[in-house]
Amino acid sequence: MKREKTWKDLVPVAELEDQWVSRVTFGSRLIAVYDTPSGYYASLALCNHGGADLCDGYFDGHIIECPLHQGAFDVRNGKPISAPATRRMITFETRNVDGILQIRI
Amino acid sequence: MTKPITTPLTQALAEGKLTRDELKSFMRRSNIPAFKRLAIWVIVLLLTSSAVYFSLGTAWVFPAMFVHGVVLVHHFSLQHECVHYTVFRTRWLNDLFGSICGVIIGLPHTHFRYEHCDHHTYTQIDGDDPELVPMPKSFASYLFYLTAIPYWRTKFTEIWRHSFGRLTASEKRFIPKVAYKLVFLEARLMLAAYLTLVGVMVIFDWYSPLFYWIFPLILGEPVMRFIRMTEHVGRPTVSQMRENTRTNLVSLPWRFLCWNMNYHAEHHYVSSVPFHALPRLHEKLKDHIHVEHNGYIGAHRDILQQLNLPSSKSNSGV
Repeated sequence: MKREKTWKDLVPVAELEDQWVSRVTFGSRLIAVYDTPSGYYASLALCNHGGADLCDGYFDGHIIECPLHQGAFDVRNGKPISAPATRRMITFETRNVDGILQIRI
Repeated sequence: MTKPITTPLTQALAEGKLTRDELKSFMRRSNIPAFKRLAIWVIVLLLTSSAVYFSLGTAWVFPAMFVHGVVLVHHFSLQHECVHYTVFRTRWLNDLFGSICGVIIGLPHTHFRYEHCDHHTYTQIDGDDPELVPMPKSFASYLFYLTAIPYWRTKFTEIWRHSFGRLTASEKRFIPKVAYKLVFLEARLMLAAYLTLVGVMVIFDWYSPLFYWIFPLILGEPVMRFIRMTEHVGRPTVSQMRENTRTNLVSLPWRFLCWNMNYHAEHHYVSSVPFHALPRLHEKLKDHIHVEHNGYIGAHRDILQQLNLPSSKSNSGV
């Protein structure tokens, strides 16, 4: 049976890099958290093309670019927008509760 | 825990060669430096094509076409930067200008983009790096490579093959299935454009493209082959970035033409860094990479010395 997703504390918002991508360890996962003009977004941190850490990539607005091959994704929905990224990346819903960023996972 | 793959960048960050704040600063993108450089680029093209125009009908047309061709073949450098999305901050401009450069030099942009990804993943790994230029086995093969004949043969064959919807086994390794149609379409459009131009030239008895484009390109491509050899040829075929890539310190005109890609080891360390920040990145990494202080000529001396030629042991260079 599929487990129901619940909200979990991820990181204090104050610890996130301003208008950039931050790397957060969550259990066994590496999560990339994006501070964008329209709020916070989160995804798995490793690029689904070559496995590089997106948190070392170039971030601009809502676009995260992989540091290895410059494939890029829209962090709002995980959609690939530049080759060689071709598959949607896994994203998580986020919310800010009293200064703590939570993800639904 | 799932771990990211180790890349030159992760190594540089882990070893403290580069801090995260420095990385962010180096990666910053802008359209302004690109448009400034493009404005000068267009002026240079106008000057070199004017030289061809004024020398038509004289013997000077050959050196004029050669100089014009040297500029034309450097559209490769701009296209290469566009492949990395580092010329313009506006992403679609990189696709547009990269595709235009591709038409000028006969290098389909989408195919090059996928191929180049594997070059960065497997730099100098024999059998895996699709752009690996092998160390010449003899002085004759060195010279033959520099004629650009093998290059043109490969490129024409590629476009022809792709226009018929075929890929080699090695191409299937770096081009995902979802991109096959685009690669084929790109090749067909380029082939159609070139054939149309040939038709127009014949029908209207108008041969200007030969003197302002095709002949200069053929004359200039050996220079690009000469430069491309300096990036990796003669360096060890190992995965260590500080070993397998060569940065060449060259003069301002060459840096302008190649969009600072002479800082090649720095580029391979952090390929997200735009051309205008590479000189600053060089200052940061120069003690951790292989630097050829005598530029392209020095790199070729190195290559020729490895060929163990008597002539290369003198200081006359190539």
